[in-house]
Amino acid sequence: MKKEKPFYVGWQEEMPKEHKSTVKKFIILIFIALPILAFSIIYAQRGFNNHQFELGKSTELTGIYHSSPVPVLEVLKTEMKPDLSNYVMLVGYGKLGAEGIMEDIEALKGDLDGKRVTLKGTMIYGDGKAVLELTKKTNSLITIHKDVIYPIVANKILSSNFDNVVGEIVDPKCYFGVMKPGEGKIHKSCATRCISGGIPPVFKTRNFQNENEYFILLGEKGEKINRQILDKIAEKVSISGRTEFLNGWNYLYINPETIKLIEE
Amino acid sequence: MSLNYTAVGWNKQKKQYVKILWLGILAFLIVFAALQFLLHPNISVETLIIRWSAITAFILLHIILVIGPLCRLNDRYLPLLYNRRHLGVSMFLIAAIHGVFGTIQFHALGDVNPIVSIFTSNQNYLEISNFPFQILGFCALIIFFLMAISSHDFWLKNLSPKFWKAMHMLVYVAYGLIILHVATGALQYETHLIYWIILIAGFLLVASLHIVSGIKERGNLRKTYQLQEEGFYEVCSLSDLEENCGKSVFINAENIAIFKYNGKVSAVNNICKHQMGPIGEGKIIDDCITCPWHGYQYMPENGQSPPPFKEELSTYNVRLLKDKIWVNPSPLPEGTLVKAAKIDI
Repeated sequence: MKKEKPFYVGWQEEMPKEHKSTVKKFIILIFIALPILAFSIIYAQRGFNNHQFELGKSTELTGIYHSSPVPVLEVLKTEMKPDLSNYVMLVGYGKLGAEGIMEDIEALKGDLDGKRVTLKGTMIYGDGKAVLELTKKTNSLITIHKDVIYPIVANKILSSNFDNVVGEIVDPKCYFGVMKPGEGKIHKSCATRCISGGIPPVFKTRNFQNENEYFILLGEKGEKINRQILDKIAEKVSISGRTEFLNGWNYLYINPETIKLIEE
Repeated sequence: MSLNYTAVGWNKQKKQYVKILWLGILAFLIVFAALQFLLHPNISVETLIIRWSAITAFILLHIILVIGPLCRLNDRYLPLLYNRRHLGVSMFLIAAIHGVFGTIQFHALGDVNPIVSIFTSNQNYLEISNFPFQILGFCALIIFFLMAISSHDFWLKNLSPKFWKAMHMLVYVAYGLIILHVATGALQYETHLIYWIILIAGFLLVASLHIVSGIKERGNLRKTYQLQEEGFYEVCSLSDLEENCGKSVFINAENIAIFKYNGKVSAVNNICKHQMGPIGEGKIIDDCITCPWHGYQYMPENGQSPPPFKEELSTYNVRLLKDKIWVNPSPLPEGTLVKAAKIDI
């Protein structure tokens, strides 16, 4: 007598052993293939930098507040890790700049420019640069020290021209630690949001020693150009302008219309 | 089959299916995280979650898409099909982790609404490599969401099997969107050749299985039958049918299933009322034709589901001349009793 063909019915408690064997082989194949696939994907991945975002950890920094060109807190070198700049860029919570928060604080407490203050926030740092997120918004101001008043622009040095230098516009908050990666196409939307929200745009390029160099971008007259450069963020671009070193950061004064996209 | 609404009709097989599925998902998470921290210790937890959920959902989507054609080629894969909706809902949940986490990471806490940001933060709609890839993923996630929430017989019945099936065929649109989402997104940053090889190999696997199973189906549909007399067509010999088994024939655009059982031959419409499964590939169990896909049952002589179920199929007149089976392809109203052709012994 001819053997009856096994038939599978899902609502029955057991499946025929022929079906069981086929399904078992399929599952084993998948369980073997998945780790190989995972290894291939991860092995081929671009690496991540060692930049840090101290999420959940609050840090208090005391230093001179500089409101322009972008909000920076100049702290004592001894307060910072040895490999980090003591000019800490201030940014807001989320994807917003610090200017709105500092203006709100100043509306309550008076002008803080050039004054020694203690601010509390979350540290972001990498590649020698430091950024402080004012996580608690207006409650980020801890103390206004009455002792010393500094001149507002005391650290302006060097000025040179910059001609068709190739690099990428990033947002410093994500790039220096919040996001990994904080650059390139997959981060484009986030960088656009951050820069649109008032975080200073930073031009990242490489020098002759193949090291990264960072320049905060401003208009030719020092005005903010965040809105004008949104479509150039996270792209390979070439930029020309005038550079200046001020308050621990390089600034690049440019005409945003002259930024050129470079086809890859 | 279930008469009353039940969220999930659990049985031993289903429990095992879900257990193995989530064990696999969890095991993949552990392996993925361990390899990431080993090879890239600087990765952030957020990036790990975004990448794990993306790759897991992508793999599950491929498994979901190959199950259908695999079953058409070999019915021993049917246990994978029977509970495929659990795979689909699980895939959606993991894709949702990717989508929600990605939206929060890249678009929330900014100067515009995160959903608005998805559509406006990158407006290079005319450039392929710079295309706003997140929109493609967002649209695919909406499709997966609609499929996941309607992935229950309650919706199948209320939306009608035809509409429900058409809606669930959108999975192919979603798959296309996901392929483009990966190609114009992650692969523009991660440029190693292996990623393109994996993406293309996955697509070729899905496409080739569909083509091969389609060719097999087409062969069945192409067979022509000659009209003999009084509207009846000779379709096969009795010996072509195994006892309690069926055969699918396609005559005059009518898809018909013929069954031999208990010394009789009957014919009903070949499309199951549940998910349009191929009735002719089913079997007679407990005197009922049983659909191979989800076990829906019909009585062979009247095409009605056994009470209290209400599904009904069209029936057809059948004749036996010597050992030849003849079928009249004019369908009778669904549920019409047709006397089975008796086999002379």
